[in-house]
Amino acid sequence: MSSMNQNGLDHNYWRSLQELSDEPEFRRFLEGEFPEPAEVPTDAMSRRRFLQVMGASVAMASLVGCRWPQETIVPFASRPEGVTPGTARRYATVMELAGAVSPLLVTSFDGRPIKVEGNPDHPLSQGACDLFAQAGLLELYDPDRSRHVLEREGGRPRRRSLGDGEAAAAAAFTALRARRGAGLAVLSEASSSPTFAALRGRLRDELPEAAWYEYEPVSRDNERLATGLAFGEARRVRVDPGAARVLACFDADLLLDHPTALRNARGFANGRRAEDGEMNRLYVVESDLSLTGGMADHRVAMPSLEIPRALYGLAAELVLGRGLSLPPGYESVLPALEHVRAAGHAPAWMGAMAGDLLAHRGESLVAVGPRQPDHVHVLAILLNEVLGNTGRTVTYGPDDQRGLSHGAAIATLAVTMGKGQVQSLVILGGNPVHDAPADLDFGGLLDRVAESWHLSLFVDETSQHCRWHLPRAHWLESWHDVRDHDGRYAVAQPLIAPLYDGWTPAELLSLLLDGVRRPAHDLVRATADREPGAGDWEALLHRGFAAALPVEKAAALDGRGVVAAVRRGGMAKPAEVGRENLELVFVRDPSLHDGRFANNAWLQELPDFMTKLVWDNAALFGVSTAAALDVAHGDVVELQLGERRLEAAVYVLPGHAPWSVSLSLGHGRTAAGGVGNGTGFRAYALRNSSALDAAAGLKVVRTGRSHRLATTQDHHAIDAVGMREREKRSRSLVVSGTLAEYREHPDFAAHRTHHPPLVSLWKERPREGFAWGMTIDLSTCIGCNACVVACQAENNIPVVGKDQVAKGRELHWLRLDRYFQGDPDAPAVAHQPVACVHCELAPCEQVCPVNATMHNEDGLNVMAYNRCVGTRYCSNNCPYKVRRFNWFNFNSDIPDVRKLVYNPEVTLRSRGVMEKCTYCVQRIETVKIDAKNEGRPVRDGEVVTACQQTCPTQAIVFGDLNDPQSRVTKLTTGDRAYHLLAELNVKPRTAFLARLRNPNPELAESADGHPAH
Amino acid sequence: MDSQQKDPRRDGPDPFRFPKWTNAIRLPVTLAAALAPLFILGLLYLLFSPGATSVGYQPAQPVPYSHQLHAGLLGIDCRYCHTGVETGAAATLPPTSVCMNCHATVRAQSEKLQLVRESFATGMPIPWVRVHDLPDFVYFDHSAHVRRGVGCESCHGRIDKMEVVRQFAGLNMAWCLECHRDPVPHLRPEDAVTVMGYVPDEPQIELGRRLRDARHITPKTDCSTCHR
Repeated sequence: MSSMNQNGLDHNYWRSLQELSDEPEFRRFLEGEFPEPAEVPTDAMSRRRFLQVMGASVAMASLVGCRWPQETIVPFASRPEGVTPGTARRYATVMELAGAVSPLLVTSFDGRPIKVEGNPDHPLSQGACDLFAQAGLLELYDPDRSRHVLEREGGRPRRRSLGDGEAAAAAAFTALRARRGAGLAVLSEASSSPTFAALRGRLRDELPEAAWYEYEPVSRDNERLATGLAFGEARRVRVDPGAARVLACFDADLLLDHPTALRNARGFANGRRAEDGEMNRLYVVESDLSLTGGMADHRVAMPSLEIPRALYGLAAELVLGRGLSLPPGYESVLPALEHVRAAGHAPAWMGAMAGDLLAHRGESLVAVGPRQPDHVHVLAILLNEVLGNTGRTVTYGPDDQRGLSHGAAIATLAVTMGKGQVQSLVILGGNPVHDAPADLDFGGLLDRVAESWHLSLFVDETSQHCRWHLPRAHWLESWHDVRDHDGRYAVAQPLIAPLYDGWTPAELLSLLLDGVRRPAHDLVRATADREPGAGDWEALLHRGFAAALPVEKAAALDGRGVVAAVRRGGMAKPAEVGRENLELVFVRDPSLHDGRFANNAWLQELPDFMTKLVWDNAALFGVSTAAALDVAHGDVVELQLGERRLEAAVYVLPGHAPWSVSLSLGHGRTAAGGVGNGTGFRAYALRNSSALDAAAGLKVVRTGRSHRLATTQDHHAIDAVGMREREKRSRSLVVSGTLAEYREHPDFAAHRTHHPPLVSLWKERPREGFAWGMTIDLSTCIGCNACVVACQAENNIPVVGKDQVAKGRELHWLRLDRYFQGDPDAPAVAHQPVACVHCELAPCEQVCPVNATMHNEDGLNVMAYNRCVGTRYCSNNCPYKVRRFNWFNFNSDIPDVRKLVYNPEVTLRSRGVMEKCTYCVQRIETVKIDAKNEGRPVRDGEVVTACQQTCPTQAIVFGDLNDPQSRVTKLTTGDRAYHLLAELNVKPRTAFLARLRNPNPELAESADGHPAH
Repeated sequence: MDSQQKDPRRDGPDPFRFPKWTNAIRLPVTLAAALAPLFILGLLYLLFSPGATSVGYQPAQPVPYSHQLHAGLLGIDCRYCHTGVETGAAATLPPTSVCMNCHATVRAQSEKLQLVRESFATGMPIPWVRVHDLPDFVYFDHSAHVRRGVGCESCHGRIDKMEVVRQFAGLNMAWCLECHRDPVPHLRPEDAVTVMGYVPDEPQIELGRRLRDARHITPKTDCSTCHR
């Protein structure tokens, strides 16, 4: 706290350590809207490139003469029924990522998919959508995608036609079938597809000598192993945070990294709206600062390796300290709990958490994350059982039986390959050369396999070690089927025919089994016809999923398995992480997943929800750990783990656990493509098969060099520092309070501002017709970034690259400001999405010399791009820093296929033009025209902005402020509403709803926004 | 050095005097200066003339389709072919199959229809040449106009008299705004939208006002109405 008091900002939010200590770097971003002056691109190619472009322009101009080029209109020869050209259509489909399912509704415009949204009818998405499905569009149109079959002879790739590739594969597969699969191994990604499972079953029956391995570098197999121990068979753990009043998460990121994360977030958020009833309480114990951790009412940062001890401590406190009775047969875990209790003390938070859990039996939830070992999951299963949560907040559904865990599978395959027992290896997706544990040397082993096929979207690291590379169909081009986490059957239909004639994994398997490649449609159709409850095929496709849930066998706890696992874990020597024994935690990259999305520019340029890093990952250190190790933000350090070495940049993240270092998987690709090559640091180089999740014994050696990390953290800082004296009287930008404060003073948010009576400088416009407005609920905004990608896809927002972002020139219309509060080692976190707030007395409009930005009748602050001459006065005069300037023409000089992603309803902006959030004016206009065509008023909730549509927690509400009955009016005039910088009297149309926390009164002395510790 | 050396400037032309040869061009320059306003006016005239705004643009089409015959003589309704006009932004051109609805039997062997038959057989579209081409940053919606009672004729002219379609209106922003500011002269009952040469039973100004008030037709002149 000492550093806080130095600059008089007690109780205030801060955005970075630089701001907290008021460093020159932060001041630079604060004082200049665009800190770097305009310049000509300085890369070596620029002059030549300029001449090329100029030459081309002159040639074009002379060809064209005075008239625009002649355009042709090419109607269908025979138009499909129900299609109107130039009108968007939407189709239900699903995306599968590592066995997890995203139900989708994809907008297609004249045959090209242009927007991915969640399927509003599906319980798992309820209209929301995650990053990866949304950004899948850019992957579909990625010009780096593989278009040919490649055969590698003597290390050199040769292009083959698809037909030749198929013939070669068919011949080899025929030989394999003749030997009943001897010497064949298949390596696949995780999949929930019944079609795929059926083909796999056939392979087992028809080619009994062949071996099947399934590998995912980011896996939930610890949970699967644990359910195997606890129930005698693998089960899927289904959680329902919406039904829980008290949630205790141990290294579990339920709101982001979970197969049902979207539903979890929706349920969690529904329990956070204090005006609708009771508020839930979230405890998080974790090492890195996860999305869920940011939402916690009480967060405890501790190394991942010590978290098992914490959960055992909690169990001991519940059972031994508070007399929670165990069911008969489980008494033999008591010695283990006594052993734990004897070994360590119980901190205050543990007692408070235990008390809260006991007080909410049947409506609490103990969740354990995928990085924790199996016995910790078993203990959580036991705790949920004795707390009466089983069947209420957590259930256990059947899982398709599978042999080895992912880690064991890849290790076993490597051993088999090392022995020379694999002559033929079929790799269905995945990229094991990049992401298999480093000690296996998968690339070296793969070189020694005589015949290898890799089915992949890109010619990636693995393709470079395989004899054959086969182009894969993208999920938007494929027929596929899935079974979601609830067991529901769903079918994926293609939105577009394969651009490069790629195959799906199921098609390749059918070639292997049948000698002919059967179309994926036929394979899926056959499964759907057999699937009970799938119903009519057309209806299934229309709806996107089968309405009926399959009948499931109930799970029965196996007492002996539980007791054995808990005793094993409790009696084990606890890990001691400390200065001499640092821990390295491998985390899933929130933008790139395991690295497969590395070539996706939308995801690369998406600021990480906590670090706000783009185009990079970094080794995350806690504040005090960094100080103790004498490393600073941006330093390059060598991470040493046993024999392995990796140089990585340091990022000092407030709230990160002490003596723990996190590094996200997925960066450091060498064959990802033009976008993804060479970004960040390859964490897989340090990952051994013995420690896939967290490893002890890390050494950090300084190199003395530094690395430029591009972060959006300090960009667009609102000048709160300069207003410090006023801030003492006025509210800060993020208004937050506790539930108790809210109950006492429901309108506390409005009273945070003290300013003289506001006098308008301008003649105010009457509000007639529509008055569009928005509210953003900071209590339920979890900061997941889904809205940022939705906005980017909807509004044709270009990516600008790392260098430009480092200069503060990112173009995202919607930014997520992340604020910390309190102790830098244990801060509270708040996310605040800020886009143009559409001021009624907009300061930007007063200074535009050409009237390029002005109000329309609905009160929107609109941009006429054609008028804009690029003075940037408007941006200079915007107190919210939401205007974005096109320093270059980011839409020129891009491959044709990449242009297919553009939304035809939104103009592309050129160089020298200012742009900003339009409240999705194209959606407003479409709704208004449709309503008037039908002769009816626009209904409340009919206009849905892109950010609002995709928000998993429905934190964003949009509507007509002139309609007293609309939701947005009720929220804007409600208790928690406040306006950002209200004292400026610019009358923004976007209102924020104050963030509420629900700290445990037992921990009250530290509850004022500060987590207990 | 020689102190008598001449100042080089003295040898050259006097910087404060026009050189003698300028006498010769006095008249042309004066005339040019006097005529400059006329010239500029002329340029402006050309800029806004039908030539510059493409009025009358009449490209040859791959198939010699005659609106005069189909819409005029035979009286086929516009919406038989342009099906999207009441529901979507684009009026849409008909697929080849619509041509073949009749031409499978009517003039089935005509040489002029060779391309149509080929298109129908092969599935390859007919590359019609676009006549009315708005800039890409303009978002025009046919349904929003047709459903309010703006006749096809208002923007496209007497299509029923065109052997080959030509551009009737300037399609510039001033032309759009003219009607958006005062739609009265162009409003018709909804059932008369596609009628060519429509003559209302009452004076247009009264009909237009009545329709405007009855159907709350309040066209906007905001930038965002057409530019997104």
